[in-house]
Order: sequence, then structure tokens, then C-alpha cells
Amino acid sequence: MSIFTWLKRRLSLDEPDFEEEIRSHLAMAEREHQEAGQPEARHAARKDFGNVTLTTAAAREVWRPRWLESLHDWADDVRYAVRALAKKPGFTLTVTGVLTLGIGLNSAVFTMLKSMALNPLAGVPTAARLHVLHGETQTGREVSVSYPDYRQLRDQNQAFLSLMGTAPFRASLGRGRDAHRVFGEMVTGNYFEVLGVGAQRGRTLLPSDEGAPGANPVVVISDSLWRRDYGADPNITGRILLVNNIPLTIVGVASASFHGTVVSYDIEVYLPVTMAGQVGFADKTDASQVLTDERAELLYPHGYLRPGVTAASAGAQAQALFAQLTRGRPRDEGAQMLKLVPLWKSPNGAQTFLLPTLAVLAAMGLLVLLISCANIAGLVLVRGMSRRGEIAVRLALGAGRARVMRLLVLENLAVSIPGALLGVVLAARGVPILSGYAEWLAAPDRLFFNIEVDLFIIGFAALLAACSALVFGLVPAWQTSHINLVTVINEDSSTRGAARGSLRKGLVIAQVAISVALLVSSGLVSRSLDAARRADPGFVQDHLGAVALDLKANAYDTARGLVFYRELLRAARTGSGVESATLSVHVPLRLIETPSQAVKVEGYVPRRDEELAMLWNTIAPGYFHTLQTKVLAGREFEDRDDAEAEPRMLVNQTFAQRFWGGADQALGKRVHTGKEWRTIIGVVADLKYSRIDEAARPYFYLPLWQAYRPSVVLQLRGAQPMKTLLEQARASVARLDPDLPIVYARPMAEMTGGATLFLDLTAAMLSLFGTAGMMLAALGTYGLVSYSVTASARETGIRMALGASGAMVLRGFLGNGLRLGLTGAALGILGAFGAIQLLGHLLYGVSSTDAASFAKALVIVIGGVALATLVPAWRATRTSPQHALRHQ
Amino acid sequence: MTLLASRPELVPGTLDMLVLRILQWGPQHGYAIGKSIRAQSADVLQVEAGSLYPALQRLAKKRWVTAKWGQTDANQRAKFYTLTAEGKKQLGREESRWAELVTAIARVMKPETE
Repeated sequence: MSIFTWLKRRLSLDEPDFEEEIRSHLAMAEREHQEAGQPEARHAARKDFGNVTLTTAAAREVWRPRWLESLHDWADDVRYAVRALAKKPGFTLTVTGVLTLGIGLNSAVFTMLKSMALNPLAGVPTAARLHVLHGETQTGREVSVSYPDYRQLRDQNQAFLSLMGTAPFRASLGRGRDAHRVFGEMVTGNYFEVLGVGAQRGRTLLPSDEGAPGANPVVVISDSLWRRDYGADPNITGRILLVNNIPLTIVGVASASFHGTVVSYDIEVYLPVTMAGQVGFADKTDASQVLTDERAELLYPHGYLRPGVTAASAGAQAQALFAQLTRGRPRDEGAQMLKLVPLWKSPNGAQTFLLPTLAVLAAMGLLVLLISCANIAGLVLVRGMSRRGEIAVRLALGAGRARVMRLLVLENLAVSIPGALLGVVLAARGVPILSGYAEWLAAPDRLFFNIEVDLFIIGFAALLAACSALVFGLVPAWQTSHINLVTVINEDSSTRGAARGSLRKGLVIAQVAISVALLVSSGLVSRSLDAARRADPGFVQDHLGAVALDLKANAYDTARGLVFYRELLRAARTGSGVESATLSVHVPLRLIETPSQAVKVEGYVPRRDEELAMLWNTIAPGYFHTLQTKVLAGREFEDRDDAEAEPRMLVNQTFAQRFWGGADQALGKRVHTGKEWRTIIGVVADLKYSRIDEAARPYFYLPLWQAYRPSVVLQLRGAQPMKTLLEQARASVARLDPDLPIVYARPMAEMTGGATLFLDLTAAMLSLFGTAGMMLAALGTYGLVSYSVTASARETGIRMALGASGAMVLRGFLGNGLRLGLTGAALGILGAFGAIQLLGHLLYGVSSTDAASFAKALVIVIGGVALATLVPAWRATRTSPQHALRHQ
Repeated sequence: MTLLASRPELVPGTLDMLVLRILQWGPQHGYAIGKSIRAQSADVLQVEAGSLYPALQRLAKKRWVTAKWGQTDANQRAKFYTLTAEGKKQLGREESRWAELVTAIARVMKPETE
């Protein structure tokens, strides 16, 4: 108000001054009359002057600026609108609630979409402009680039300002039983420079840290690690941190907002890539060659394009360079081409998983908003019609149509603005809950989503609110303000207006249609989730514990490692309550794709361009016994399948079926697995190897005793409580080697939960949307139907006075309601087929024309419409005919 | 709101010009301005206070006049209005427009005399 007071003083009549001027005028006039000898001089002076009040008002009018005048009108309108709404708390609360839900859900989804696509990396404001290079194999698998190739690309390309490389990895920090596992990145020296990220303590990594292999044992840690493990020690630089048992000097703490460049992973340590050999960063290659092998899949190069360079030309340039580099290399399972993608399409992170899912959710969210808008349009329409009398009187008294429209629009804004604000609050509260849920599902791995409700989204929500109020309030408002004065004032306000009737019907149909589409979609996804939960992964997860070890961390060689493994298995198997125990390199259902290996199958000639690359695992004896997976032919590995024996392998059923047409036929056949020919000694049932919804695929197993690998997962089955089982296993490891870091020790069932993580999230969101949409549609339908029932109260009264029974009237209303409902449902089913195309990648174990999902959606929606019709109709039949007639 | 309850004699829109004209002779207060107009028009133009005072406010707002409290010869406190430089220019403009208008009307009313 202070600004108004100020304006008033500057821009209005000085009233006391003006009054005094008039008094002085009157005094002079009075004296003159006196001098002229007139009686009652004072009275005469006043009479001559005329109306003092009107004069003052006119003087005041001179000073009042035009805009202030219209501001007063606006303020009046706003005050009136708010008062009118306060008188109808039901209407006001409903509209506000509908908008809160619609805008809140949309803000939440768009916040996530935006952060994924526009602002994927916290602490790197221009991250959306980053481009990523990745290799692609003949079969379309996306792979990283070797360090030698990266250096060539960095030095020779002209398209990027500069090119940094990064490789995410899991690091275990500390030693022995105290060790814990975090995500880290192996980065090139220019990593921080390219990203423009600084250090809050000490320094970042520098190009000088990318020296000779193993020459720079330094590490930069994250803000959260610094606070969590070091209590934000101000003298952190110079302290030693054990990463995979290699002592590294902490040289700095990265800027607090920075969480690395891998979307959804919370990165806690940054190491020079030249330490890759020491910390044992090698999956396929010898650790000593990880930096020199030009075929090792290691880094994803990232960079900003030079100004004026298009993504297309940069991509062509990179591919041309890569073609030069790879000339003469064998055409096998390695990268055959180089692709350039924007960060949001990068295979290095969760964005390629999350974005399609979020896009589906955004589409669903918009449907909910559409229902909300239809709902509000309906409510405003109904309200407008019941106020036709009032508006007609206003028009008759001379209010301009524009002014009446303005009033109606203001009323809409007065409900939609609080709705928008509450929606933002809902989103602000809802988004952390959602990302918290994702983090909880992923625990103990630390996830990080760069999601915050920001001005962009608030603006977005406000825009939605304003648009829905204007567009969906304006149409009914316009209709209402164009009513014919004479008819409205003379007659009643009930049964007229075919156009408005059809708008009302259209709104009911639209809401029903959209909610059918929503319910079908959410039904399909939740049935997919059920199917996925019930799906047989090919092994029994209950009573199965997993303890991951990393022998690289303690510098075991092959001979010592094998001895350790045998002793560990012996110790684990003798633990109390342990039924069986085994080791394997990979654990099924972890959502991550494990590397594949090019193979040759004896007697099989691959088609040209056919890439025979298979997924594989290295396992100890007793693996399938422990997992309770069927051995279909032959036997599984035993202790005798060691270095002394001839090279042996196992294949899964799909593998055997594909090449030999059956399990038994596969026995004794030979496969070349990269190093040598191996003989198949057994065929086992298929597992779900990485995702529960994956298709069957060929898979093979190598015996750990013949193919040593430094990092394994000990798996134990036992009837004991899981905690005891895992504690016991930890103790056995500690007895054998107290310094060996335990990467994790978790129940298998908990770990495989990640395989349904995104399905879980999507199903949760979709069922929320489905329910919200359904509720909104029911509410809207109820409002519109009950209005039309009330509006035809006179007709009902007449019909009942003429002898119609309540049941007949009821049947009439129900017939009308159901006709609208069925029309809407039919349209909704058509819409649902469209929505399913979007959902395709999320569906699992249910057909996209799943009858049950459709039937359920139809029953709910038609039931809702019937209820929304019957309740008001029943109330109409209860009112006595006399009352209904007199009421009009 | 048109409170300019003008008598038929006073051509609408001319009051501002008349007031400026009166003030050309020197600072004057409202009561005297009213009397002057009446006197100089030989009692034909009667400016009502209800029009005069809002007009003075209008001129003050446009900064064509300034106001200052002072004493009359009869020792009465009164608010005196003074023509500003901008007001003088405005008066000149209105006078020439008025002259054009009068000539034009005269031509229409008595064409044969020209």
C-alpha cells in the first residue's frame, strides 16, 4: 500500500489547501455582501458559490490520472471476484484442487524432464551443450573409446574446443571390513578445465596429472565425501585415500554443486585416467595394457563444439578420423564406427533409460492437465449459466461486455493462481519424494538427480494456470456475456441453449475419453509390473546372499587368487546353516549390460555382417546348484575342471537351441571363446541376465578355475536369517585376508530389485496419474451432469406431476448420462491405442491389447459416469413436483 | 462527470483561456478572477465557483499557473495565482486559435459582408 500512499500525495488534490481556498473565497464574498448592506451576507455568499462538495469532487477529478482510475476499477473487480468466490467455497475449492493436482503433477514431471534434458549435470550450467562421442559395434551396441584412440581424437579433431574423456567405475575406499563402495570417474587431465568446474579446497585435476601410467597417484574428492568421511576437514589436501587399496593423495575437493558427469550416479572420487592400470580398471584387457591397448573400451570423450561447427559436421569429422584410426583392425565385436550425440542421448549414464519413461509420464501428465482444464471449463460454464440472471442485470444497468468479461476472467484467475501456487508447492514436495524413492530403491549405491524446482518451472506452472484460466474460462465467459438480455430477465434460466448443451456434452465426452486412455495405460503398466515381479528369473532369489570381493585391490596374482578362492569356498561352505556356496564374476538381474565376447562356433559359418558376440560369465563349481537353476544336459563345473583339464565350457538353452537344435546335441561341441577352443560339457536353463523384461539370448559360462578373474561375488544359500548369513561370510573373508575390501554384502533379492526400478517408478507415477485423472473426470462429470439435472428440475417436476414414476425419470437421466459415457469411452479406447505405442518399451508380459486392462478401465469409468448421473437424478426425483415448479 | 454547468453564454472550453487572460495583468486570487471575468464581459459571463476552482486546479496541474498564499488589500488571506512562462505561451496559442474560430464563425454567419 505504501506505493499508493506515495502516489496519492504526489498526484492528488491537496484537500486542506483547497478547503481553505474556498473558505477564503466565501469570506471575501461575505464581506462584499456585507458592504453592499445585504442581510444574511454569509448565506448569500454560500448560495452564490454553489455546491462545495461537487466543486471539491470536480477538483479532485482533475488530479486523478486515468490509469489510477482504471486501477481502482480493477481493484474493485478483484475484490468483487474474491468475494463472489468466497461465497461459493465448494466451487472455489474444487477448481483450486483440480488445478493444484494438474499443475503439480505436470510441474513434477517437467522438472524431471527439464533437468534430464536441459540441465543434466549439477554444477555445469552449460552441460546441455556438451557432446559425447561413443563407438558403435556392428550390432548397434554402444561402447566407449580406448585411451590411444581418445588421444588421437583429442589432438587431431578440429570440431571441438577441447575434448576430455571420462570412464565411470566403482571404487572401494578404505581397507578390509571398513571399506565402502562409491562411484568414481577416471578422467583425463583436462576434465575439470573443459567442464569449467573448480575446486573449493586445494585444486582440481590438471593436464599435468595425466602423465606416464601410474605416475600421478592423486585424487579429487566430492563435497559429500569430504563432509561424510572427513567431517569437512579444512586441511584435507595431502591426506591419503585408499582407492582399491592404492594410496592416493587427496589434492582437492571439487566444487560443492558438482556431482560428476554420469547422470543419476553420485560420483565421489575423480582419478587421473593414467592410474587406470594401478586401480585395476580393466574388464577385458590386462590391467597393464588398459592405457595402451587401442581396442580397450575405456573412455567416453566429451566436449563443447567450436562456435559455428554443427553437430552433423563434427560427427562426420570424428567418424572420418576414427575410420583412419581403425583401418586395418579386424571387423569383430569392437567398435566399427564413431557416433556423436548430445549429452542427453549419451550411453554413459541413465538418461537413455529415463528420458523415454519421462516422456511417457509427461504425455500422461498433459492428459491429466487436459482433464483439469476440461473440468474447469465445465465448472465455469455451469457457474456462468447459474449466474446468467446476475450478468443480465449488470448488462442492463449499463456495464460494458468487456467489463463483464473482465470480471469473469478475473474470477477464473483468482481461483487458478492459488491453484498454480499450490501446484508448485506440491511439485516442490513431490519431486524430492520421488527422487528419494529412486535413491532408496538403489541403495546402498548412491544416486544423484540434478532436480530442483526452479524459476523455469514456476514460470511454466504460472503460464499453465493463466492459460487454463483464460482459454477455458474465456469461452464460457464469452458465451455468458452474450446472452440475450430480454429473454433472460423475462424468463427463467433453465432449459435453453442448444449450443451450451453441446459444449457441456463435449466436455463430459472429452473427460471420459481421456480418463479411459489414462486408466488403460496405467493398468497396462501396473500389470507389466506384476508380470515382472512374478516372472521367473531362472533362479531362486530367496535365502541367497551375495558378497562382492575385489582381489585387484590387494594385488593378488592368478596363482594366489585361485588359492584364495578355493579356501574361501571351503570356509563358506562349512559355515553353519550354509547349504551351498559358489563364486561368479557377474550377478544376474543387475540392470547393467555385462560385456560380450566374440565367439566362433565350430561348423557354423556366420553370415556376412553377422556378429557372433555373446554374453558370458565366469563361475566356480556349484553355481547352478546354489542358484537352483536346472542343468538340462551334461553336468555343471566341478573342482576337476581346472588348469589341468582340457578347456571346457557351459552354454545356456538358447545357445544350444540356436546352433544345434537342442540341449543334448550341444554336448561335446566346440566353441572358440577368444583365446582357445572349448568343449561344451553341459547345457543349463536360461536366466534373466540383466533385466527381467529381456528377451532370451545365448549365454555361455567359463570355469573360474580355468579362467581366473580378480573380482568375484561370493553367493551363499542358507536357511539362516540373511543378516547372520552375510555376517558369517564377511567373517570368513576377514579371517583369510583382513585387508581385503568387501565391496558389498547384500541379500540377492534386494539387489535384483534394481531390475524393476524404472518399471516401479513409472508404475507408481502412472497409477497416480490414472487415479488423479479418474477422480477429476468423475468430479467433472458429476458437476456437469448434476447441473443439467438441476437445470431441468421444472421439466422433471412437470413429468412427475403428469404421473411419471421416479424410476422412469431416473432411467431417462441414466440413459443420457450413459450415452455420453459410452461415446467418451469409445473415443478413449482409440486414444489408448495411441498411448500404448508410446508405452511399448515399458510393457512386459502383457499384450498391448490386454483385455483385462481395457475392461477394468471401462468398468471404472462407466461406473463413475453412472454414479455421477444417478446421485443428482435421484435427488431430483425426491423433490416434490410443486416445489420444483414453484422454485422456477 | 461534467460539472461544468456552463451558462449558455460561456462557450465550452474557453474558461481556461479567460482565466489565463485575466492572470496576464498580474497575480490574482480565485474570487477576483471570477469578478474580473464578469466585469470585463460587462456582466455577460458569469463564471461559477464550481467551474472556476476545478479549472484553476487543472491549470496548476499543467503548470501554466503557480499558486501562493498571500494577503489581499483588505487584509484577507487568499491564494494568488501567477501566470508561468509556459502559461503565457499557452495563452498565445489559445488566443490565436480563438481568433481563427471567431473569424470562421463570422464568415459562416455573415458571408455577404466579406
